[in-house]
Order: sequence, then structure tokens, then C-alpha cells
Amino acid sequence: MFAAIARRISLSFLILILVSLFVFLATEVLPGDALDVSLTDDDLAVLTPEQLAEMRAELGLDRPAAVRYLSWLSGALVGDFGNTIITRAPVADIIMGPLRNSILLALATTAVAIPVAHFIGILAAYWRDRAPDTIVSTSAIVGYSIPEFVSGNALILIFAIWLPIFPATIVLYTDGPILEMLAVSILPVATIVIGSIAYLSRLLRLGLVEALVSDYVERARLAGVSEWRVVFTHAVPASLVPTLNAAALYVAGLLSGIVVVEKVFAYPGLGLELINAVLKREVPVVQATVFLGAVGVLLMNLLADLSIIALDPRVRRSAGRG
Amino acid sequence: MTTISRRAVLKASAWSAAAAYMARVGIIDSASAQPAPKPGGGLVYAVTSPNNRLGDATNGLHPHNWIDLANRTCYNALVWVDENLELQPELATSWEADDGQEVWEVDLREGVEFHDGSEMTSKDVVSSFEFHRTETSFARQIASVEAIGNHKVRFRLTEGNSEFPYILAEYHCMIMPAAEPDKIGLSGIGTGPFKPVGFDPRRSIKMVANERYWRTGHPYLETLEVVNRGGQMEGAVNGFLSGQFDAVTNIDPGFVRQFQGRDDTSIVYASGGDQALMILPKYDGSPFNDKRVRQAIAAAIDRDRIARIVYGSDGGWVGNDTPLASSDPNFLAYPYKYDTERARALLAEAGYPDGITLPTFYFAPYWPEIPRIFQVMSEMLREAGITMPIEERPNDGYRQWRVEDAEGTRKHRFAYGPVGIRNPGISLYRMRPDNNESGYWSGESAERYMELYAKALVTGDPSARREIYHEMQEIAFEDAPAILPVGRRNILIHKSNIAGLDNHPQAWSIRFDEVHRL
Repeated sequence: MFAAIARRISLSFLILILVSLFVFLATEVLPGDALDVSLTDDDLAVLTPEQLAEMRAELGLDRPAAVRYLSWLSGALVGDFGNTIITRAPVADIIMGPLRNSILLALATTAVAIPVAHFIGILAAYWRDRAPDTIVSTSAIVGYSIPEFVSGNALILIFAIWLPIFPATIVLYTDGPILEMLAVSILPVATIVIGSIAYLSRLLRLGLVEALVSDYVERARLAGVSEWRVVFTHAVPASLVPTLNAAALYVAGLLSGIVVVEKVFAYPGLGLELINAVLKREVPVVQATVFLGAVGVLLMNLLADLSIIALDPRVRRSAGRG
Repeated sequence: MTTISRRAVLKASAWSAAAAYMARVGIIDSASAQPAPKPGGGLVYAVTSPNNRLGDATNGLHPHNWIDLANRTCYNALVWVDENLELQPELATSWEADDGQEVWEVDLREGVEFHDGSEMTSKDVVSSFEFHRTETSFARQIASVEAIGNHKVRFRLTEGNSEFPYILAEYHCMIMPAAEPDKIGLSGIGTGPFKPVGFDPRRSIKMVANERYWRTGHPYLETLEVVNRGGQMEGAVNGFLSGQFDAVTNIDPGFVRQFQGRDDTSIVYASGGDQALMILPKYDGSPFNDKRVRQAIAAAIDRDRIARIVYGSDGGWVGNDTPLASSDPNFLAYPYKYDTERARALLAEAGYPDGITLPTFYFAPYWPEIPRIFQVMSEMLREAGITMPIEERPNDGYRQWRVEDAEGTRKHRFAYGPVGIRNPGISLYRMRPDNNESGYWSGESAERYMELYAKALVTGDPSARREIYHEMQEIAFEDAPAILPVGRRNILIHKSNIAGLDNHPQAWSIRFDEVHRL
């Protein structure tokens, strides 16, 4: 089992390097560099090509792409993401606050979405093809189909403009107190939760429907186990296993930033930071942000695999043999 | 009905005349000729087009990295360009150049204190410009700067520039307490009406009134907060509608309609703003090498109609095919009328009797109305037998894409470019032959244009310079190196209980000294 985990970690490491290379190449093919973007058209109208070349050399942008990538990678491997190109600020300082906020948003969303999605999923599965199922399934499809920028703006219109209860746009500093950040994040969380519950509840319903018609549930019923215990101690745990990977990916997706929601609400998270960094061609920030997102995805997947091993004896035995 | 006696009217008139005179000669501020605004309260405004080189925790208060470039909240420059694009003294009281316009001596205002209570002297100005001349595009022309006593400085330029005071008014060229170049400006200490008390370098800056401000009695507001909503127009407008923001600067014309007729909102138009440039690239084989084709395009554009369709009655202005703005005192109105027959005749003369199909014209929605300008223009040109296919490109990386030139042939794209409002010298310089924006204009007219430009640079007399600028514009009308048909007027909205918040054609020159709550 440990060999399997080690293999998985080694593979993750390789994936991280490939992701960083891919991101670097992707930013290289974009037109312009950080210097071009930092200057206005008015600046560019008075600067000569020679002056621009001189400024580019000062910022190290004239170095070959391979040299710049290897320089970044050698630092990143020891946890040093380097400095921004224009202002020479440590990248770690730039992304630490947004990372904290994205984790906060992900945790808040997960804390709401997963219990609610479970409750709804169980309702729908238990009363399959009956009124609760129809209502839940239809609502889920509607909720899942509404783009987040639509649901976000609708919530703003209702709860910030018509009924001025919540802020329409977040003006708190990036390093604002956690409780204040949570307090102003109710609409962003609600926006993500609408889509998330729809997705997760349908996933859970599917797993639970299969579990509820399985042999072991049937045997439990025949043995006289109460319906409540059948559902919650036999069917639900079994239905969780196939949904773990999807749930892990969902949480990892939240960690890497709900870009649209952060943009709609000006939430100071990693997604918003990534957009700004791409627009400003701040490649070290883009690299670090994507790198952290990839680490999040890989960690969550690893966690899901370990959970499956722990929860499913068949997988545990197979991993032990392998 | 209330009646007013003749004596009272005469008394009021006499007082008004006296107040107006005192304001004119500077005994009192023009604002104080009115009932004095009530001090106190705060203003939170959102900016939708912030600085594109925002700083970080260590340098976010530096004027170069100031969140919205409207850094006269915290700092002052030596000179200020007012809403009518005229020069006004700020931390300088007067300036004078030698005959060659190469050496400038500037007298500094005495008794000005920085936020920390230290006095502003020529040492601070020298130190500030030692920084600016290496870091600010427009200030690179400063060869040296030296102090002459405590309140006078001397600038030596690399060559004569009769419009150098405009450079002293640039938003980057703020005066900071003297320090080493790598430390200067980091503290956020300036001489401006507000001093920062908290900031997030990329999101917002909170300020309180500077009790040492050199304009006695100003500012009126106790607090000021600027919030960055760059590229998030909807977010800024939502914040305004929900009551989080008292004002939003640089609103898009498309957003204005929802505020028209609302009692709680005031819409303030500036006298000008950016204009749309149509670059006509001239390279081997380009149809734009032929002056008659360029003139035909110019003749086939109904500028008034485009401005009316795109901007309505208040939001736009008509250009004259030069980078000068119509609000500039040196601006000449475009002399030719919209004339499709003349356009057709010019095309026939150029060898296109059946009309011409131009290369694809590219634009990016730098401003939301840009696509509309060129959609309307494309339809309009069709009436004169000119087919102009158009294609929208993303904003991201647009400029670099537009001028990419791997082979060094200057075969740049037939495309749009934004042109901001600057002083006439810098604006007209944009049509220089070696600049992409002129489409690498060449020939006798271009040479004459640049001769005049060189002459203007060393002409100290503003009225003589104006004559030169007029001649330069006339050359551009005749030779049509580029097309600049319309521009926008900057728009800001604010709550009706706010007063004194004037808009400015250069958004970065907005002042908040006079803003107060009603």
C-alpha cells in the first residue's frame, strides 16, 4: 500500500513540473510582456525602441525563455517563487493573502454545500421517482444550468440593491480579518453553493439509488434493521465511495479559485489574482498561482484515494497486494 | 410672493462683483465667493480604470503606483493642468525658460509642508526629479535638475521644450520628501489634501484630511477612500447602486442611461477624453500610400453622425484627424464636410473608379463603445464605395499584436489605437514619421510637419506657438496621415448629496480639494 502511495506522490511531482512548463509556455505565446503591459499607450508613444530595449534588459525580460523558466523552477522547488517583474515584490507576499481568502471561501462553501447536498441527495434517492425526487432533480438541473455570473448578479440585485442587506461588491482589504471576510462573503458563498449543491446532490443521489437497491441493503432490511439505520449506516457510507473522487475534484476546484465569482464580487482570492497576473503578464505570479492550484488538485485527489482505501476493504486488499 | 428691494439687489450685485474680483485676483478662492461649504463627512469613490502598474505592500503608496493615478489626493506636482487644459501653478508659483526653452527655472511655493510637518524645499524637488527623470517616460528629457536656494530649482533639458511645464504637471511627477532613489516615495508622504491611513495596494486606499494642507481651508471632506474596480464596471455600478460608493469615475456611456433622470444621482461630463485613432499603415503595397485614398476615407466619414449615434447628445466630441482634443485651446475644427461625392472622385483619381476594398480593420474594445464606432464607420464608408471589413480582437495583448513586426518591415496592421488627452506638443508629436500611430507617415508634408514641430519646441510665445500648431493641423487635414473622427467625454457619476466634484478630460488630474457633502 505504501508503495502505491509513493508511486502516486512521485507521479504528482512529475505532473507539477509538467503543469508549470505548460503554463510557462502558454504565457510565452501571449502577445507582449510585463513591460509592454505596464506602460500606457501614451508612454509608448514617446519612448523610442532603444529606450524600451534598455528597460526590458533592466527587468531581465531579454533573457531567453528557457533561462527564465529554469531560474523560476529552481526557486519554486525550494519554495521560492521569486519576485514580480515590474515592482520586484516577493511573489509569496502577493499570493499569500489571496490564497488564504480562497481557502476560506472554499471551506465556507464546502461547509454549507456538502451537508445540504447530502440532505437533498438522500431525500431524492430515498423517494426516487416521487415528488421529492422530481422537485430536487428539476431544481438541481436548473441550479446547475445557471451560470455563476447570472446567479451572482441576480443575488446582488435582490439582496444588495433592492434589499440592501449584503454588500454588492467586497471592499475589504485582502488581509482583512477572517470573520469580517466571512461576513461579507455571504453572497459569493451562496452563488457557489447554488451550483455546487445541484452538482453534488445529483452525484450523491445516483450513488445512493444504487446502494439502496443493492443486495446488502436488501439483506439488512430482511434482517429487520430499521429503515433509518439501513439508510444512514449501510447505504449512505457505501454510496460515498464512488463520489469521493468527484467531491475531491470539486473541493480542489474551489481551492484554485472560483474565478467568475471572485470577479463578480471582487472577492480578493487567488482566482482574481490569477486574472490580474495574466493580464499584466506577471509570469512568476501566474506560475505560482497555477502551481498552487495544481498542488491543491493533486493533494485532494491523493486524499480521496487514501479515503477510498480506508473506506473500501476491497480496494484496501488490492492496494496491499500491489 | 417675496419682493426684493432695489437697494438689496444693488447691494447683492456690488458684493458679487467684489467677490468675483477678489477671486480673480486671488485674494479669495472662487469657491469662497459662494456660501462656504460645510466641512466634514467622507467620500468613497470607485475607479474603473486604475493604474496599470499597481504596487505591493512596500511601494503601493508611491505616486507611480498610486491606485488610480489621480494621486493629487495625496500628492501635488509643481504644476496642474486644469479642466480646460490650461496650466495652473501648484507647488510652483512661476516658471521661466531661456530663449532656447532648454533651461527652465521654477519658483517654488513657500510655506508648504509635507504630511509629516517637514517643509517642502528645492531639495525635495531635486530629489523627486532625480527619480522621475529615470523612471517616467515623459521626464526622460530632463538632463539635470539643481537647487538654486531653498525655493527655486533649475531644470536643464536634453533639448528645448516650450511645453515643459506640462511635464511638470504629469501624474507621475509628484513631489516627495527627499530620499535615495530606491527609498523615495515609499512612505506615502506628500503635500496633498489627504494623507493615507490604510491601504491595500491593489484594492483601496483610505485617507484622512491633511490639516497642514497649503490651500488653507481645504479639503472639506474628513475622509476619502478610493476603491479599485478596474475592468469591473458592473461591480462599480452595483456598488454605487447599493450605496457602497458615493461616486464612480470613468463610467462607460452605455451605463449612463440608467442614471439619467434619477434625483439621487448627478452625471458629470468632462470637456473631453480619449479619442479613437484609425491607423493607416503605409508600407510597400499598402493602399494607404496614396494620399487620395486617405483623403477619400476622411471625406466619407460623417463625424457628427458617428458622435451622435455612439455618444448621444452629451457624451462625445468630434475630432479633426489629429491627436489634439477639441477641448484643447489650440484645436482647429475639421474644415471639410462629409462628402461622399468628393470621396468617390478621389478614389477614381487614385485608380479605383468602382470603389475600393480595404484590408481588414482591427479594433479591441478598450472602451465598450469602440466596436460601435467602427461598425457605424464601416457602414458609412460603404456609401462612398469603400468596403472596410472589420474584426474585433481581445483587449489582452492587443497593442503588441497590432504592432508585431517579426520581419522589421513596419507592415503593421490597419487598426485602432486609443489616444489620450495631452498637451498639444506631445499630442501632435504622435504623428511623427517614425511612430506606428502615424502609419509611418512620410513625404514632404510629413517633413514640413516635423520642421514645424521642432520650431514649436523652441517657441516660447504661446500665441506664436498656437500659429505653428494650427499650421501643423492644416497639414494633417490635407495629407490625412491618420483618421481620428470622434472622442468620448469622461463621465463620472456621484450621489446628489455630493458637490464640488468636477470631472476632468485627463482623469488623472481630478482634484478632490473642493468636494463636500450637502
